[in-house]
Amino acid sequence: MPEYKAPLRDIKFVMNELLNSEQHYASLDGADDATPDMVDAIIQEGAKFCEQVLSPLNQVGDQEGCTWSEDGVKTPTGFKEAYQQYVEGGWPSMTADTNYGGQGLPHSIGLVVSEMVGTSNWSWGMYPGLSHGATNTIEAHGTEEQKQTYLTKLISGEWTGTMCLTEPHCGSDLGTLRTKAEPNADGTYSITGTKIFISAGEHDMAENIVHIVLARLPGAPEGTKGISLFIVPKQLPNEDGSAGERNAVSCGSLEHKMGIHGNATCVMNFDGAKGWLIGPENKGLNCMFTFMNTARIGTAIQGLGSAELGFQGSLAYAKDRLAMRSLSGPKNPEGIADPIIVHPDVRRMLLTQKAVAEGARALIYMAGQQVDVVHSGKNEEDRKHADALLGFLTPIAKAFLTEIGYEAANLGMQVFGGHGYIAEWGMEQNVRDSRISMIYEGTTGIQALDLLGRKVLMTQGEALKVFTKEVHLFCKENADNEQLKEFVEPLAAINKEWGDLTMKVGMTAMKNREEVGAASVDYLMYSGYAVFAYLWARMAKVALDKMADGTSEEMFYNAKVQTARFYFKRMLPRTRTHAETMLAGADTLLDMPEEAFAL
Amino acid sequence: MADYQAPLRDMRFVLNEVFDAPSLWASLPKIAENVDPDTADAILEEAGKITSGVLAPLNREADEQGCKWNEGEVTSPEGFKEAYQTIVEGGWNGLGGNPEFGGMGMPKTLVAQFEEMMQGANMAFGLAPMLTAGACLALDAHGSQELKEKYLPNMYSGVWSGAMDLTEPHAGTDLGIIRTKAEPNGDGSFNVTGTKIFITWGEHDMAENIIHLVLAKLPDAPKGPKGISLFLVPKFMVNDDGSLGERNQFSCGSIEKKMGIKGSATCVMNFDGAKGWLVGEENKGLAAMFTMMNYERLGVGIQGIGAAEASLQSAREYASDRIQSRAPTGAQQPEKAADPILVHPDVRRMLMTMKSYVEGGRTFSTYVAQWLDISKYSDNDEQRKHAEGMVALLTPVAKAFLTDRGLDTTIIGQQVFGGHGFIREWGQEQLVRDCRITQIYEGTNGIQAMDLMGRKVVGSQGKLYELFAQDVAAFIEANSGDDALRPYLEPLAASLERLSDVTEHVVKQASENPEAVGAAAVDYLDMFGYTALAYMWAKVVKAAAPKAEGDTSGFYTGKLKTARFYFDRLLPKTVSLAEGIRSGSEAMMAPAANEI
Repeated sequence: MPEYKAPLRDIKFVMNELLNSEQHYASLDGADDATPDMVDAIIQEGAKFCEQVLSPLNQVGDQEGCTWSEDGVKTPTGFKEAYQQYVEGGWPSMTADTNYGGQGLPHSIGLVVSEMVGTSNWSWGMYPGLSHGATNTIEAHGTEEQKQTYLTKLISGEWTGTMCLTEPHCGSDLGTLRTKAEPNADGTYSITGTKIFISAGEHDMAENIVHIVLARLPGAPEGTKGISLFIVPKQLPNEDGSAGERNAVSCGSLEHKMGIHGNATCVMNFDGAKGWLIGPENKGLNCMFTFMNTARIGTAIQGLGSAELGFQGSLAYAKDRLAMRSLSGPKNPEGIADPIIVHPDVRRMLLTQKAVAEGARALIYMAGQQVDVVHSGKNEEDRKHADALLGFLTPIAKAFLTEIGYEAANLGMQVFGGHGYIAEWGMEQNVRDSRISMIYEGTTGIQALDLLGRKVLMTQGEALKVFTKEVHLFCKENADNEQLKEFVEPLAAINKEWGDLTMKVGMTAMKNREEVGAASVDYLMYSGYAVFAYLWARMAKVALDKMADGTSEEMFYNAKVQTARFYFKRMLPRTRTHAETMLAGADTLLDMPEEAFAL
Repeated sequence: MADYQAPLRDMRFVLNEVFDAPSLWASLPKIAENVDPDTADAILEEAGKITSGVLAPLNREADEQGCKWNEGEVTSPEGFKEAYQTIVEGGWNGLGGNPEFGGMGMPKTLVAQFEEMMQGANMAFGLAPMLTAGACLALDAHGSQELKEKYLPNMYSGVWSGAMDLTEPHAGTDLGIIRTKAEPNGDGSFNVTGTKIFITWGEHDMAENIIHLVLAKLPDAPKGPKGISLFLVPKFMVNDDGSLGERNQFSCGSIEKKMGIKGSATCVMNFDGAKGWLVGEENKGLAAMFTMMNYERLGVGIQGIGAAEASLQSAREYASDRIQSRAPTGAQQPEKAADPILVHPDVRRMLMTMKSYVEGGRTFSTYVAQWLDISKYSDNDEQRKHAEGMVALLTPVAKAFLTDRGLDTTIIGQQVFGGHGFIREWGQEQLVRDCRITQIYEGTNGIQAMDLMGRKVVGSQGKLYELFAQDVAAFIEANSGDDALRPYLEPLAASLERLSDVTEHVVKQASENPEAVGAAAVDYLDMFGYTALAYMWAKVVKAAAPKAEGDTSGFYTGKLKTARFYFDRLLPKTVSLAEGIRSGSEAMMAPAANEI
């Protein structure tokens, strides 16, 4: 199992040198606590916890899994104790509302901690991770009473939360869900129905679990406009705020799945469970959308984490494992063979992982800053701009990062050869764990429709322009920089082509709605590579500037420039294919009669 | 999970309509005496029954159970022993074997179809006959008459199974550094001592005896790959009357816990002065292995297609059954709560991609099998030599490209299922886990790419490449007047030209820079594969187009539409690959190890 080491140097590079966090935090309302020293201390402490407590439990979680019995769900050895430490350390409250016990730190700092938690042990991280969804829902839409009752407990970490959306017959299409909520005379509701794939739906780590449940009121309109949100606690809160009597909700079974074995994926049965409406009737889906971006960025972190973990494991192995001689002459003549890192193809695999992990970090932290501004920007204009940018970047971050994160995890495993396939090395677990990231929180296909259909085309391309303008500005500012030319020139070309392609796809989509779905995944992947080109060009610039100024970390910055170069030469060309295939049209997809698929 | 059905319709199409295999068989006398179209068809039919009816139903449960190790004994999953017996009784182990020792002597073009069915139905199980067939090939090609007579008949029948013992804890890709020793006993036998790992089906309870082919070093053997010899080491000694004698001095130390193919035993084998016999010449062990390598590597490529086919069968069934959201242009099934997800363009993109890879891949594996048949059975020297060149060139492509696309396909097949794709009971995630090993064993795909680019293309100064390029060019030329084919020939010619340009570019680079090959290899193999598949789809169009008019079955029109999809949506990948290759090795080689 790769021993996780938090990549603190790179975290600081992205936060401070690329994204100027200090200035950013100073520009926010109520982020006075986010001083550089404070931020640094938080990250150091978080790193320690992740390396020493969570990472050693990662393989344990995979091998033991969760166990179901009539009495509830037992989490793997050590999970409960780790959670206790996490709560005692005050981690759940870090970015939460100060009125309910939170520390009010900016969300972007929370994302850094989430990255470390998720990379060291994704299955474990999902328990507190799911609490965020419930916390956000109640924070945004709950009544004062609901906040006092639930938010304080969720923020302290004494209780955890879940999101109960999916049902056996509906996942992507929530409009057809069947769970019912019938009003009781006292203003509460009786919730009845079955939910599946409920992560952290039942476990033994916290004293109570707060479910946020999507259900239909009697007489609600059909489809997505007839869905309401309810708070359904596992145990009903007593007057004094403690967890009381058991509610009529239980975990029917656990799924046996490909990965994330340490996390309980539950079938939840609601048999007239007592619930409280949250937000307006029939507006449940809209309420969910208010923090959809944050939730999806949270999932995007899994792409970053699986690339980082695979990279750490395979880099160590590639330096250690001896096989064959370098084609340009022995590099380790005293050994029986050279370490495999000398071979170009092994380097291709390592550099791809590095480009993905570090590029992903830059994208997530950049999106994290937009989340901060949306929440605590000082003026309306900034907030609106950040919201538009975040809306545009979110589906890209979610789908693109999980797709290439999975590719990177597979490369990490491939570097190990046959040993990669064996459980004890942990590389295959990383692949199995990361596979879900392209599916949950909206599949890649769904994210692509969101990006191209809802975000880009519905705004007549405005959402794209918010971003391409920024890229354009960067290219213009650096047009005369000779050293940056190898990055800025292709970036400017991609940036222009991006707009042209959007126009072309938009034109065909006006004639035929099917064209959106026919182009969407290629469009999203193209966009991801374009965003990465921008980020890698910027990182190269920072590194070149540092080296020009003189630095004791020549090697670190030089590596940045070389990874940027690798990205531009070896990965960015993938856009050539997507540019062509996104314009191939819907006909080749739709001409085939349904029956012919089975011939 | 759909019940696996052997894709017999498509296999018959590929064999009879695309390649006209019966004519090829009739033209090769050594095959013609063993097979005719009726026999071949009966074999396909029966293979379909056994794989779908006997092997497929065991697949899911075997993944849950795995193999059990106890004091050196390995118990296979429930039902495997009985299924193995069925395979033995049907004579399937010796389908392609040498008739002189009890094999059936069937052509690879036909055997490849059986292999695909077996691997698609149950890859963990399929590895046992596959390894046995590989061991038989090596033994048949290099063993003494005495060894062959003693071992081959029982291996072809399957009463004894075979295992290949190459890898050691410190040596996988680099077999030159193995440490297992073989010391001569003076009576013609050797004492073999050492540890081998990752030995598939090295120990189990399905066959009476297990015949290991073991790579080891003789005393004072030269260092490196030129000092390795091959030994036959049976689990039980075989008496002169053919009966089994005492247990040999080796045992299975443990079995690996792994990502997939859990129904198969992956063994650590400890040889403690085990008795063995030399196969072939001293120090020529690696060369002896290479004769079977082409068959084995094609076989692994076929595993990729098998898993992909199984995934496709489930995905298309699910896409027709699962209702979710409405079609963008309005409800297609207004009477239901939603439309089946097959109406959505992106779901179709996924299914068409799967179909393109599976059917194109099957065509390609049969194409390579055809060259194997000619290279083995032709009595025309020139024809044989030509075929050998094709086999050498195409084998690494078949192994790596078909397993890479196989994994892509199973991942897409999982994606079509959404969240259910991650759940074990549906079977889609198992196919991903099972298929994942195919990119690693029998030479990782990176090694295949080095073999293609370095040994084959650059090593022959592009001559082997020319064989393939001429084959494609001749097809384009011969069909230039065919209206149905024209829309495909142009992009095919363009992609061939692109590949030829890149080939020339890299051959030239390689003469100046030793790292150029390694830097280009994987992308080059991919590009080669996509171009080869374009050629296959053009061949498919040629066979299907004349029958498409008035085709009410949808089979032939479906072929044409899938070909269109392949050319429009998948072949453009070669554009990106060419650009990456041309960027050279600097981006990879410049960073120092600690800068990575």
